[in-house]
Amino acid sequence: MLVVDATQGIQAQTLANAYMAVDNNLEIIPVINKIDLASADVEMAKREIEDIIGIPSDDAPCISAKMGINIKDVLEKVVRDVPYPKGDSNQPLKALIFDSYYDSYKGVVVYIRVFEGSLSVGDKIKMMHTGAEFEVVEAGTLSTFNLQQRQTLYAGEVGYFSASIKSIADTEVGDTVTSAVKPTDKALPGFKKAVPMVFSGIYPADGAKYDDLKDALEKLRLNDASFIFEPETSAALGFGFRCGFLGLLHMEVIEERLEREFNLDLITTAPSVIYELTVKNKGIVYIDNPSNYPAPDEIEVASEPIVKASIITPSNYVGPIMELCQDRRGIFADMKYIDSDRAELHYDLPLNEIVYDFFDALKSRSKGYASLDYEHIGYKPSKLVKLDILLNNDVVDALSFIVHADKSYARARKIVEKLKDNIPRMMFEIPVQAAIGGKIIARETVKAMRKDVLAKCYGGDITRKKKLLEKQKEGKKRMRTLGTVEVPQEAFMAVLKLDDE
Amino acid sequence: MMSSNISLYIHIPFCLKKCNYCAFYSIPDCGEDIKQSYTDALIKQINAFNTSKTISSIYFGGGTPPVLGTDRLLAVFEKLKSKFNLDTNCEITVEANPMSVTLKDLKAMRKAGFNRLSMGMQSSDDKELALLGRLYNKEQYLEAVKISIDAGFEKRSTDIIFAIPHQTKESLEKSILTAISSSTPHISIYSLSIEVGTPFYRIKDNLKLPDEDVEEEMYFLICDMMKKYGYKHYEISSFAHEEYESRHNLHYWDCGEYVGFGAAAHSYFGGKRFSNIADVNKYISLVDENFYSPTDFNNQPFISNEEKLEELIMLGLRTSKGIKADKKMILKSKRFIELGFVQINNGYLSLTESGYRISNTIIAELI
Repeated sequence: MLVVDATQGIQAQTLANAYMAVDNNLEIIPVINKIDLASADVEMAKREIEDIIGIPSDDAPCISAKMGINIKDVLEKVVRDVPYPKGDSNQPLKALIFDSYYDSYKGVVVYIRVFEGSLSVGDKIKMMHTGAEFEVVEAGTLSTFNLQQRQTLYAGEVGYFSASIKSIADTEVGDTVTSAVKPTDKALPGFKKAVPMVFSGIYPADGAKYDDLKDALEKLRLNDASFIFEPETSAALGFGFRCGFLGLLHMEVIEERLEREFNLDLITTAPSVIYELTVKNKGIVYIDNPSNYPAPDEIEVASEPIVKASIITPSNYVGPIMELCQDRRGIFADMKYIDSDRAELHYDLPLNEIVYDFFDALKSRSKGYASLDYEHIGYKPSKLVKLDILLNNDVVDALSFIVHADKSYARARKIVEKLKDNIPRMMFEIPVQAAIGGKIIARETVKAMRKDVLAKCYGGDITRKKKLLEKQKEGKKRMRTLGTVEVPQEAFMAVLKLDDE
Repeated sequence: MMSSNISLYIHIPFCLKKCNYCAFYSIPDCGEDIKQSYTDALIKQINAFNTSKTISSIYFGGGTPPVLGTDRLLAVFEKLKSKFNLDTNCEITVEANPMSVTLKDLKAMRKAGFNRLSMGMQSSDDKELALLGRLYNKEQYLEAVKISIDAGFEKRSTDIIFAIPHQTKESLEKSILTAISSSTPHISIYSLSIEVGTPFYRIKDNLKLPDEDVEEEMYFLICDMMKKYGYKHYEISSFAHEEYESRHNLHYWDCGEYVGFGAAAHSYFGGKRFSNIADVNKYISLVDENFYSPTDFNNQPFISNEEKLEELIMLGLRTSKGIKADKKMILKSKRFIELGFVQINNGYLSLTESGYRISNTIIAELI
C-alpha cells in the first residue's frame, strides 16, 4: 500500500519504497491520505502517482485516516486486488519476522507472516539467522485493539507468538522463523542485519544522572535491537555512552525519547560516522569515535562512507540545493524532472556531510519542500583530518571531530568563534584554538573578566551580597571544567549544535 | 577575632529628594507628624533592647538623618547615651547632605557627642551632580565642608561615584582632587551601578555609561591617586589616612555584633541575623504592638556554622587585612595568587586591588 500525503505529493521516501515494491513484484495499492486538510490536492497527488511511479491511480481510495473517511474502500481494495497467499501448511515452518516488541510479562512478542508450514503453542522453533531456539508459549492473530490467542497459525496467516524470549536482539526484523525439529532448508530472502551507521556520545547534563541514563538506554534497547550503546568517558563531559544509530532520524528519535519519556537533560557530541582506516603495521581499522582517531602519520589510507542520495524538490529550488550538495562534497550523478515543476536529483555524498545538519540546510533552502532519502553504497578514500579544539592550550576531547581537509579551515574558524562568544570571561585570558595534528589553524581569545557586581553592604545589610554569592555558586554547578577552563553547559550545546548559517 | 563590643545602627529613611541612582529604603521629605511618630517609635525600640555590652560605634544612616530634624536626632542619640554603655572612644557617625545642614545644626550635633560626619559629594562636576539628581553644586558642597570643619568635625568622610554617564577620567580626577583638597581623611568610592527600581533603571538603555575599558582605567586611576595622596585602600571601596578608617564598617566586616533600630535596619546579634520591616508606617505600628522587643529576636533562626564561616570569608575579604588563612585556604587560592588577585601576608589572606574587582568570583571559589 503506497500512502501519499495529498498535501505533499510524492516524497523521496515514497519513491524509494515504491521502487522496492516494484522490484519485488508486489501489487501496489495507491492510497491518498489527509484529504480532510484544506490544502489537500487530490488530483495533483493522483497525477504524480501516475506520472512519476507509473501506476494507474484513477480509482485510488482517497481517505482521511485521522477522520476515518473512506477506510472501507481501502479494505475492499486489499481484498479485491492483493493476491491471496500461496503456501502449504504441511511444509516445514517458514515465517518472516516483520516486527517485535518487549512485553514485561511475556518477553519479546514477535509479529510474523507464515509463508509455509504452521506454528503451534509448544513447538520448538529456531531463528535462522541468529540461531536462537525457543519454545512457543503463546500464539495468535492481531486485531485492532488486542491480540487474539490461537492454538496454531497456518501458512498464509499473519499473527504473533511469544516464547519467553528475553532479548529483542534474538528476533531481528527480516529473520526467518522455522521449526527446530524439522527446519526448512532455505531462509526467506532479503535479510539485512541492521548496522549502526551514525554514532554520537550521549552524556547526562548532570553527572549524577548517569545511572538514570543507563537505565533509560537499557529500556529503549529492549524494544530496539538496532540501537547500540557502550559506556564511554570523556575528560570534558565525564561518564556517558557511545551510541550507534541506523541513521540520523533514528538518532533524533532516541534522543528525543530520552529527553521526553525519561525526562533527562542530555549533552550529545557531534554525530560521527565509521571511518575505514589503513593504519601502519595494523591493517584496516574502523573508527567511530574521533577520540580514537590515530595520528596523521600513522594513517596510510583513510576512507569514509558514501551514500547515494536522492532528493526530490520543487524545480525552483534546484539551484540552491545543487549548491548545497556541491558544498557538501557531493558528486552529481543525474537529475530528472519527474513532472512539470519537480525534479529528482541524485548525488553521491559523504555520510559525514549528511550527519552534520544537512537536513536542516536542505529544508531551509527549499522552504521545507525538498525531501531526502539515502542508501549506503560503500567506502571511498578521502582527505580526512581530525580537528582538535583547545581551550587554554588543552585539547577538549568531546569537541574533536573528523572533517575533510579542504573544509577544515572554515569549520575551525566557525567553531572557535562560536566558543569565544559562548564562554564567559574568566579571571584570565583564554585562547580558543583549533588544531590539526598539533598545528594551530584558527584562534580566538576570550578576554579576561574585568569585574563582577559589587554588592554594597550598607548598614550591615549583607543579604544582597549573600544572594549574589549563592547565584555565583549555583552558576558554578552548571559549569563543565574543561582543563583549566570552566564552560557553562549552554556554551557547550551551542557549539555542538553549530548551525550552518 | 570577634570583638565583644557591639555597634548600633539607626536608620533614618527620610531625605529631601531621592537620587536617580538610589535603591536604598528612603522616602522623600514627608510631614512633621510622621517624623515625630517615627522618632517616638525609634526611642521605644531602643528602650526595649537591653545589653550590658560596650558600644564601640554608632551610625546614623539614611536617607539623610538631619532631615528628621536636629532636635529629634539628638533626642534619639540622648536615649542611646543614657541607655547603653558607650566606649570612651565610641565612633559616632552621622550622615548628612550638603543641603541638609546649617552650621548651627552641626555644632549642636558635635556638642552632643557626634564625632564623625559622612557627607556624600559623589562628584565635583555640576553637570554630573545634576544628572545624578543631587540638589547642590560644587560650590555648595565646598561651603558645607567648610561649616562642618567649623563645627569641629575633624573625622570626615565623603563618597565619590565613578562611571557616571558622560564622565571622563579627567572629570573623575577633578572630583577626587576636590575631595582630597578639602582635607577629607576618609573617602569611599563606588562605581555607579544601575539598580532595579531606580529612575536610572527606567532609562538604562539611553544612559551613556563609560565602557568596560574606561571603567577599569578609572578604577586604577582612583587606586593610584589615593595611594599617591597617602590614603590606604583598607576596604574594598574605601580609602583612609592612617587612624581614620571607619570603625563601624570594620566591625561589620569583622563579623562583630550590631543592632539596627528603625525601618529597614539590619541586625546581627546573638548568632542571628534579622531586619526590621522596610516601611515607615508599618514599622511604627509594629513597634506600637511591641513587635521589635528582645523576645522577638528569639524567634529568628540561628546562623549555621557553615554559614558563619562563609560570612567570615565573604566579609573579611572586603578588608585589606583579610582573613586568617589555613593551609586548605591557601591551597584553594593558589591559582588566584599566581594571577595576582590574592596575596598572603603574615598568615592573612587578602584580595589585591585587582582582586577586589572580581571579589564574588574569588569568594565563591574559596567557600
